[in-house]
Amino acid sequence: MTLYGSKTRTLSVLQALITALLLCCVSGPLRAAEEEARVLMLYGLDAYLPPFLAMDKAMRGSLANETSGRIQFFFESLDSQRFAMETVEPELAALLAKKYGALRINVVVAVSRIALDFFERHGAQIWPGARVVFVGFLGYEFNPSALPAGASAVLSILDAAGTIDIARRLQPGARRIVVVSGVAEVDKRAEQQAREALAKLDQRVAVEFLSGLPLPELLARVAAEPPDSIVIYLAQFRDRDGRPYEPHELLRALVKTSRAPVYGAAESMLGLGAVAGSVASYESRGRLIGDQVRRTLAGGPPDPSRTVLAAPNRCVADARALQRWSLDERLLPDGCDIRFADTPLWRQYQREITATVALIAVQAALIGALIVQLRRRRAAELESQARYLEVAHMNRRVALGEMSASIAHELNQPLGAIRNNASAAEILIKADPPRLQEVAHILADIQRDDQRASDIIERIRKLLRKTPFEVRAMDLNETIEETLQIAGGAAADKKVVVKTELEPGLPKVSADRVQLQQVILNLVLNAIEAMHQNGVHKRVLTVRTARANGKESAVSVADSGAGIPADSIARIFDPFVSSKAGGMGMGLAISRSIIEAHGGAIRAENAAQGGAVFRFTLPFAEASRA
Amino acid sequence: MTATSGTVHVVDDDASWRTSAARLLSVAGYDVVLYESAEQFLATAELDEPGCLLLDLRMPGLSGLELQQRLAQRTLPVVFVSGHGDIPTSVLAIKAGAEDFLSKPVDSGVLFSAIERAIARDCAERDGRRQHDALRARVDALTPRERIVFDAVVRGKLNKQIAADLGTAERTIKWHRHNLMEKLQVASFAELVSLAEHLGLVSAHDRPTPGFSSAAQQH
Repeated sequence: MTLYGSKTRTLSVLQALITALLLCCVSGPLRAAEEEARVLMLYGLDAYLPPFLAMDKAMRGSLANETSGRIQFFFESLDSQRFAMETVEPELAALLAKKYGALRINVVVAVSRIALDFFERHGAQIWPGARVVFVGFLGYEFNPSALPAGASAVLSILDAAGTIDIARRLQPGARRIVVVSGVAEVDKRAEQQAREALAKLDQRVAVEFLSGLPLPELLARVAAEPPDSIVIYLAQFRDRDGRPYEPHELLRALVKTSRAPVYGAAESMLGLGAVAGSVASYESRGRLIGDQVRRTLAGGPPDPSRTVLAAPNRCVADARALQRWSLDERLLPDGCDIRFADTPLWRQYQREITATVALIAVQAALIGALIVQLRRRRAAELESQARYLEVAHMNRRVALGEMSASIAHELNQPLGAIRNNASAAEILIKADPPRLQEVAHILADIQRDDQRASDIIERIRKLLRKTPFEVRAMDLNETIEETLQIAGGAAADKKVVVKTELEPGLPKVSADRVQLQQVILNLVLNAIEAMHQNGVHKRVLTVRTARANGKESAVSVADSGAGIPADSIARIFDPFVSSKAGGMGMGLAISRSIIEAHGGAIRAENAAQGGAVFRFTLPFAEASRA
Repeated sequence: MTATSGTVHVVDDDASWRTSAARLLSVAGYDVVLYESAEQFLATAELDEPGCLLLDLRMPGLSGLELQQRLAQRTLPVVFVSGHGDIPTSVLAIKAGAEDFLSKPVDSGVLFSAIERAIARDCAERDGRRQHDALRARVDALTPRERIVFDAVVRGKLNKQIAADLGTAERTIKWHRHNLMEKLQVASFAELVSLAEHLGLVSAHDRPTPGFSSAAQQH
């Protein structure tokens, strides 16, 4: 028995397990489908009006933050301010019924009274089982006591009284209040509320309602208002001719035309030019809608204290509009939210601005540091250039010092001739009769020789002058010939035959004349010196010029000396390396500095037929580059 | 200007100086011949007339000093002019017999007096050479026998020794000696020795030594 009994129990346990497993498999997907909630946004008006967009965004944000399940949003707009509901309602209801068919909507958010009315008439057929969350204005649009069963609401209050109060604070001396509204259903309800609020006002202020005026007339009327009037804009969806309006667009036109400050009754109007108003923020309303939707989705018994939620009204003002109409913001009620002021930009983006400023400061400091460094480098370069010029000048003096004997000789030739001629002239003048014809010839000769002497002195002086580095386009061959004139005496002294092979028509090179001459002079004096040991008939110095390539000219100075010793050819341009017995070793070092400063290159080699060749290149001057 | 007539040969590569020097010297009354190089001078100069050489020290090709060395045989007084003369060069030039060493520019007075001296020296040298040549001609006119006796006599040999050397009589030597003194137009033994020395026919150590002089004895 026991055994049998236990067998039966085992079977029943197994049966239960299989059933549970099956149930799991079947009900799993079903429940998953149920987890997705569907929320329909049903707008009575244009769903794209800025306040609705702002509310929608805040609502979705709130739901996304605080609900774990997925919510699918649907949306319908009745657009009743443009299309009369009575003409399309049956077909629209039928269409929607077909459209939604079996799709189960959990919550319908009915925005505006028109949407709520539509839901009440057709909701049971189109969205069976859906519960409604009403969003609208308290009082003129809806009375909480008329809320359908199971519904909840987020109400806002059109606080015409509060707005008028703000207006009167800002304009204590105002004698007229003009209220602008339309003749659409919502317009009328808003106007009605404003009338009630204004009725309580003291009688010193004249009140005029501009209801449903076509736009041109409305603008003309408002433009005629004196600047100290108060214009309250409630919103105009439709004029008396049945023309629909986008209330915010109308506000823009109104603000542009009016000389008197315009006040708005909704948050969306602030920022479009309205000065101020007592308004509820769309964001807070959106969050409240989110709360109601979430609570509705959660089901359970309704909480009577939460059935109707109202967003608080606050004073909001536009700093730009205050400024435009010269209104004193200090007259606003305490705690009034002044938007669009200049300072909020700083407050709003404080971190970004701070970061940007810091970045700019760091960059500026970096740039400053770089500039300082650049300056220092410039100064150092200038100083080094000054030193270089100093050394170059010293080298020229040394070079000319070496040539002093030959220079004196050269200078004494014309001076000697002048003395001879002068002595001859003295004799001729004393002759009887004076031989003046010959004296005239002599004087001409004296002048010529004097010129020659002064030319020599000028050449030397130019070479000795301390000049700043000044690059000019110059004829290379001409410069070489002039330099050879200076060095000619020294060559003759040492019995050196100077030959030139200068390629005609070379493009000009850019160079500092004095420094270029200095390089040539150094090379020529070195070459003369190098041939000192040669027999008298083997002292030949050859200066050649030629195009090196398309960009530069080459100058070579070749001697017939013993050549450069192999061990010093690599160091020959180093300072204090001298090939001469008494040399300082500066000439070639300076020559290299000069050539490199001109963008050229210099090198030394031994020629195959004997002797050393110094070759340097100089780039063509920009203008003569071919 | 009164100047000793003479030809100044100006050798200078500087055309301007050459021309001016020529002008000055010809105004002063000299004949001037111009050469632009030492080589040209060597090739073309005619040196028959008395004169001097006004020579530039530094020239391409042959320099002034080198020309002076080449001219050593052809005696012509040299006045150097240099653009820039250093002391070693001037010492070399003077040692080589330069008459003067001037620096350009040259004061005309200094130039003239240097040239005067040079030309005067040339004239004197030319006279000396002429005299020398005449004496030489006389010596050359001696018979071979007389020449042998002459050479022996000026070396201080006694007639007796000469006769012994030549294997002849002393009287014959005496006769030759008389004849040659007549031909050479000298009156005494001293004059004879002086002549021989002048012509370079006897060197100093060949001279008859004092104390061993036979002059008195010969007479």
